[in-house]
Amino acid sequence: MLIKRKSSDAARGKLQAALGGLSSGVMDRRSFLRRSGLVAGGAALAGTIQIGAVRKAEAAGMGPATGTKVVTNICTHCSVGCTVKAEVANGVWVGQEPAWDSPINRGTHCAKGASVRELVHGDRRIKYPMKLVDGAWTRISWEQAISEIGDKMMEIRQKSGADSAYLLGSAKFSNEGAYLFRKFAAFWGTNNVDHQARICHSTTVAGVANTWGYGAQTNSYNDIRNSKTILVMGSNAAEAHPVSMQHVLSGKEINRANVIVFDPRMTRTAAHATEYVRIRSGTDIAVIWGMMWHIFKNGWEDKDFIKSRVYGMEAVLREVEKYDPKTVEDITGVPEAQLKRAAETFAKVKPATFIWCMGVTQHTVGTANVRAICNLLLATGNVGSAGNGANIFRGHCNVQGATDMGLDVGNLPLYYGLVEGAWRHWARVWDVSYDALQARFDEVPAKGGRPARTRKANMETSGHTSTRWFDAATMPSEQVDQRDNLKAMIVFGHGGNTIPRIPDAVKGIEKLELLVVADPHPTNFVSLAQRKNGTYLLPIATQFECSGSRTCSNRSIQWGEKVVDPIFESANDYWVIYKLAEKLGFASDMFKNIRMVRGKFGMEPEPESVLREINRGGWSTGYTGQSPERIKLHMANQDKFDVVTLRGAKGSPVENDFYGLPWPCWGTPEMKHPGTHILYDTSLEPMNGGGAFRPRFGVEREETLPGGAKRTVTLLAEGSFPKGSEIRDGYPEFTFGMLKRLGWDKDLTPAEAATIAWIGGNAPDAVSWANDLSGGIQRVALAHGCIPFGNGKARAEAWNIPDPVPTHREPIYTPRPDLVAKWPARPDERTLRIPNLHTTFQKAAIEKGVAKAFPIILTSGRLVEYEGGGEETRSNKWLAELQQDMFVEINPADASARNIKDGQFVWVSGPENNSKARVKALVTERVGKGVAFMPFHFGGWLQGVDQRANYPKGTDPIVLGESVNTVTTYGYDPVTGMHEGKVTLVQIAAA
Amino acid sequence: MRLSQSIRSLFGVFGFVLALGLVAPASAQAPVNPTASSVREEQLLNALKPGSAAEIGGRISIPDQKASTLIRPAGREWREFHQGTMHLVGAVAVLGMLALLVIFYATRGRIAISTGRSNQTITRFGAFDRFVHWTTAGCFIVLALTGLNITFGKALLIPIFGEATFAAMTQLGKYAHNYLAFPFMIGLALMFLIWVKDNIPSKLDIDWFMQGGGLIGKGHPKAKRFNAGQKMVFWSVILGGAALSLSGWYLLFPYTAGGVLNLQFWNIVHGVVGMVLIGAMLAHAYIGSIGMEGAFDAMGSGEVDLNWAKEHHALWVEDEMKKGVMPAAARLQAAE
Amino acid sequence: MARMKFLCDADRCIECNACVTACKNENEVPWGINRRRVVTINDGKPGERSISMACMHCTDAPCAAVCPVDCFYTTVDKVVLHSKDLCIGCGYCFYACPFGAPQYPKVGNFGSRGKMDKCTFCAGGPEADLSPAEFQKYGSNRLAEGKLPLCAEMCSTKALLAGDGDIIAKIYKERVVKRGYGSGAWGWKTAYKETIAI
Repeated sequence: MLIKRKSSDAARGKLQAALGGLSSGVMDRRSFLRRSGLVAGGAALAGTIQIGAVRKAEAAGMGPATGTKVVTNICTHCSVGCTVKAEVANGVWVGQEPAWDSPINRGTHCAKGASVRELVHGDRRIKYPMKLVDGAWTRISWEQAISEIGDKMMEIRQKSGADSAYLLGSAKFSNEGAYLFRKFAAFWGTNNVDHQARICHSTTVAGVANTWGYGAQTNSYNDIRNSKTILVMGSNAAEAHPVSMQHVLSGKEINRANVIVFDPRMTRTAAHATEYVRIRSGTDIAVIWGMMWHIFKNGWEDKDFIKSRVYGMEAVLREVEKYDPKTVEDITGVPEAQLKRAAETFAKVKPATFIWCMGVTQHTVGTANVRAICNLLLATGNVGSAGNGANIFRGHCNVQGATDMGLDVGNLPLYYGLVEGAWRHWARVWDVSYDALQARFDEVPAKGGRPARTRKANMETSGHTSTRWFDAATMPSEQVDQRDNLKAMIVFGHGGNTIPRIPDAVKGIEKLELLVVADPHPTNFVSLAQRKNGTYLLPIATQFECSGSRTCSNRSIQWGEKVVDPIFESANDYWVIYKLAEKLGFASDMFKNIRMVRGKFGMEPEPESVLREINRGGWSTGYTGQSPERIKLHMANQDKFDVVTLRGAKGSPVENDFYGLPWPCWGTPEMKHPGTHILYDTSLEPMNGGGAFRPRFGVEREETLPGGAKRTVTLLAEGSFPKGSEIRDGYPEFTFGMLKRLGWDKDLTPAEAATIAWIGGNAPDAVSWANDLSGGIQRVALAHGCIPFGNGKARAEAWNIPDPVPTHREPIYTPRPDLVAKWPARPDERTLRIPNLHTTFQKAAIEKGVAKAFPIILTSGRLVEYEGGGEETRSNKWLAELQQDMFVEINPADASARNIKDGQFVWVSGPENNSKARVKALVTERVGKGVAFMPFHFGGWLQGVDQRANYPKGTDPIVLGESVNTVTTYGYDPVTGMHEGKVTLVQIAAA
Repeated sequence: MRLSQSIRSLFGVFGFVLALGLVAPASAQAPVNPTASSVREEQLLNALKPGSAAEIGGRISIPDQKASTLIRPAGREWREFHQGTMHLVGAVAVLGMLALLVIFYATRGRIAISTGRSNQTITRFGAFDRFVHWTTAGCFIVLALTGLNITFGKALLIPIFGEATFAAMTQLGKYAHNYLAFPFMIGLALMFLIWVKDNIPSKLDIDWFMQGGGLIGKGHPKAKRFNAGQKMVFWSVILGGAALSLSGWYLLFPYTAGGVLNLQFWNIVHGVVGMVLIGAMLAHAYIGSIGMEGAFDAMGSGEVDLNWAKEHHALWVEDEMKKGVMPAAARLQAAE
Repeated sequence: MARMKFLCDADRCIECNACVTACKNENEVPWGINRRRVVTINDGKPGERSISMACMHCTDAPCAAVCPVDCFYTTVDKVVLHSKDLCIGCGYCFYACPFGAPQYPKVGNFGSRGKMDKCTFCAGGPEADLSPAEFQKYGSNRLAEGKLPLCAEMCSTKALLAGDGDIIAKIYKERVVKRGYGSGAWGWKTAYKETIAI
């Protein structure tokens, strides 16, 4: 019965032929071990393995694998940064092989990464530029598209000002694309430029940067292998960052680490925890302070660490005292014993790391949540060395890079704020005049009781956030703090279904005079509303169809090579931005020092050249050492890096470098700084990747004690300094003046000194490590074992932002109105150009009895198969097949009370706008009683209506579904305008 | 759905065992260690009832809920049944019946019309009856042969024809089997409608059996239109055919059956009933042709010899006569 | 002699479905055919575990035993393959398979089955190795290229192992000893009539 057909056919059976003589074509041992997964298990076994299990074909036939070349790029689906090895034959991407050499993914992928090839087959992609003509999609040429868009933008600029055009960029840009887009906004003359970081980790960046200096993951995915305690809160890494779980589970197995997952939902990540703690959505601060209460009560805090490296912990202590176990259990639902156990483990089983994601950040108290976590890390001394730290898993493939590039309403590239000095710095880098830049900005008239703003003031005023763009379009002009309402949306690579209040967004879309969607797919900006004219669709290439660098969550920068030419009439971001700038008349200035090369449709900016310009200006964040050559060298030598330390092997071309030169990588590329694997790590010399907390907020502070007495305390580190430092204490940031005081100015080369003199003009002492274009100040500081930005304390109390010490605040739509009196939302205020009415909405909800009529807490999150708004992944047939229906997870008790069966359609109705969504019920104990969960990747249905017909023919995603944001509600973080995506109230009924 | 569910429980195969009973579901706030409480395969396998068909299953995101079954050890039992018991049943039914018939023919010989032919005939089956009979019979023969082929062909025919030819043949056979199933089912339904009233069991049938149906010994028990033996054939065709139709329907439209365990069950029904019915039909064909003089005419020309009719269906002939049906002169027949 | 097996370490599997799309990508498997799938047991409960499952390439494979046209064969690596030229789409292998591996494209009037398709352990089919005909019918033949099945090679957490049974059993054993827990070599008892003793 079991016939060995192959063995009977000697003519072709290479397997048997190979059996005869095992000598040739045998796979080498290393690759076999890898392929067998052994390397994951541990190298100990390697010596005992018998090889010979797999034999290589003697002579490959005319099979699909012949005649191919392998191109290396990076997966475009999340921030882990998995290397993709693409096999290309005759310009067609024919196969994908495991990227064994990448220290990050080591050959592996998730569902999305394993199916990226489908993106460039793309039968659902936008194939050519289109515009709406009286409601019908009409094919147009690129020239016509650019020309008409440019004319309309100029018309709006004349009529309403530059701020009336919103430039919404993308976390899927390469660093170079993101940088050009930010630069484009500066030349256009607006700060209304944003991207997805707003809705994923803007509160993290704000919270973390305000605590210890930089708004980024402090350690790396790989470093989690060193952890002994891994606390995960509001992160479902198993679905959102699957490959990161390789490192998490390795840590769990090898170190027998504790994995504690805090989540309202028993996620796929929680299934692999050693302790799962179910919390009520929106009570993160109470949970953290509850842990801190136990830590301080029992003296588990790291007293030395706090003393030498933390400012303001007393103020935190005063707040924490309010959070006794009973109070905390009442707010959060977590039993005392469980929380105490978690606190003790986190404080005592070290190194302990804290992983968080959008479960923490997407709240009206997002920034405060992040700050509370930072305080927990500081109190337990869990920042700044291997195995600990704030392991913030960012979302999109280049959301870190795009944030770094200043695709943000409040920053210029590399976190230079909107102050004059920063503008002048970039004007010098760009080789344009500061005054010319300023002249591009609007003057804002006095309105709504607010004073008028000059061009200069407007240039230094943060823009309008992407979470509220439709409010800026529809609110009375009085309320919107800029010259006029929003009239145009220029959207590059950003979904339209990603923020709450879709019924309001629909009104916003309909109000726009101009809507430009530049994307590989149409997105919900196109499908949500019924527009007739003034809408353009531009086909944009994915990052697989162009080259460029991207920064993963751990700050490593990787270079992606173009796999295939842009398909159909798609063009890459670089060319489109260039053409728009050319049409608007500032291309010659904007691309002055950027090399142009021949591309698909003509001359386009060369990404390497753009990166070099970034290197020339990126001093503040250490984006200066990562030249294209160095990054490419890393890509070519991926196998030389250690999987745990990310350090390049001795004797290799990348010796001592950390993989991807994670920023800060100080000085010029020639200085060969290795990058910084772990931020604020004092156990290494700064020149070798060490660091300290960054004193960003002065050197000392006068504070008022509860009794009213005043005292002045230092903000510089006390007795803590990086290894090898010649200054054996805290010190402020380096300036030319400081070098002079230290007598180190003599170490500057004449060329460096000349550059400093040129920049400083009549005040050269003020030239600092961050704007010295020569890099001399950084070089000299590092040579003396000092970190250029200074050696300060982290701030437990961040006095300059709302809620300097976080306090629990009930969500606006809270299921516990009884707690609001004690823990109210913030008073109404204005956040970034627009009113932010926390209290008004919370009061109204309580008065209307929303908690009774809508008794179920709705939270949202990711599915592994889809990403973001989901248009791209729902158009990928290999992924779409795996999740064909939008659903709501509902607890069996709630389902049976409502007579709802698994798989049937239900209506989920929200408390605003009479909103409702028709989705399938998934009855599961993943969610607790009274809690529901919906994934946020769906779109294309609106309140039960299938809007497939709104897409241009042939570009509709395979799977459509109701967006969760149809029913999500008002609520915005006071610092960053982050929306409340994780707590609202709904009712569910059988459909 | 209901039916399949009841069949499932009937068959004792409904063993969709999650570890529900093994791991107490955690209440909302009880401290849990998901790693320590993780489900183990061994537990789940042990929880499956020994000897019964059962599955270990869970949740899957794709719409094909069949895929949510992870391990179904029951497949092994179905395999044993299919390759063992069913082959045996088939071999016994077909070969056993053939052997019986050979022995019967050898001992009893052809049952002759004891009074000889009368040269007068009486209409036993009209054109429509015969059309229905032969349609159904024709289909059945093809269905039976293709069914036997798919069961025994691998062992018997591959050595003769080789794999490629056999596979091509069997593929055609599968199409024939699938398509001819429909005329067969229609024929079956019509057969039931036109003959059921004459096939209701009655007292006479008991006498018929007591007398051995005339097959054993010499006497001819009286019978109406159908004697008890024929009624047995009728009912076995109707009931067996219905079972084959129903089970075949599920096998043909697997998505209506509701799960692999059901498919396994229906496949067993289909196979066993098919084999038994093939055996029964061999006997029917024998007695309707070479086994008995004059019998074939009933489904051949439809006109049977009056003496044959009187011997086997005396009461029916009386009834017909009473109704005024007159025997006709027999057509010229070749002398025997 | 190598004896190829799959092993899914459920304590590592996070249901990321990489194995599923890797398989689709590598073998150009059409919509509706799922050579590999991930099933989650005890979904949402503390005992939850996910397991990636495909054809296990059984010892004494039931599919081969029940196939009426004898279209299955076992390679020297003990990979169970079949010939789509011989397959008649009868469905028997699906009834017999303990793992639900056989898949059928819906063809014809009955919504019924076309030629069976299943996991080939990335070892192609009876056609000449690496020939276009082989690829078109069965997908790629990575074994012939000296590679292992892509699903396992791309597994995000290295939960899914493929390769010589003894080697992957050793890897699994070592893991369980190291970390102190293991929910078992799913399917091994059913497929290979053996399990991994720890």
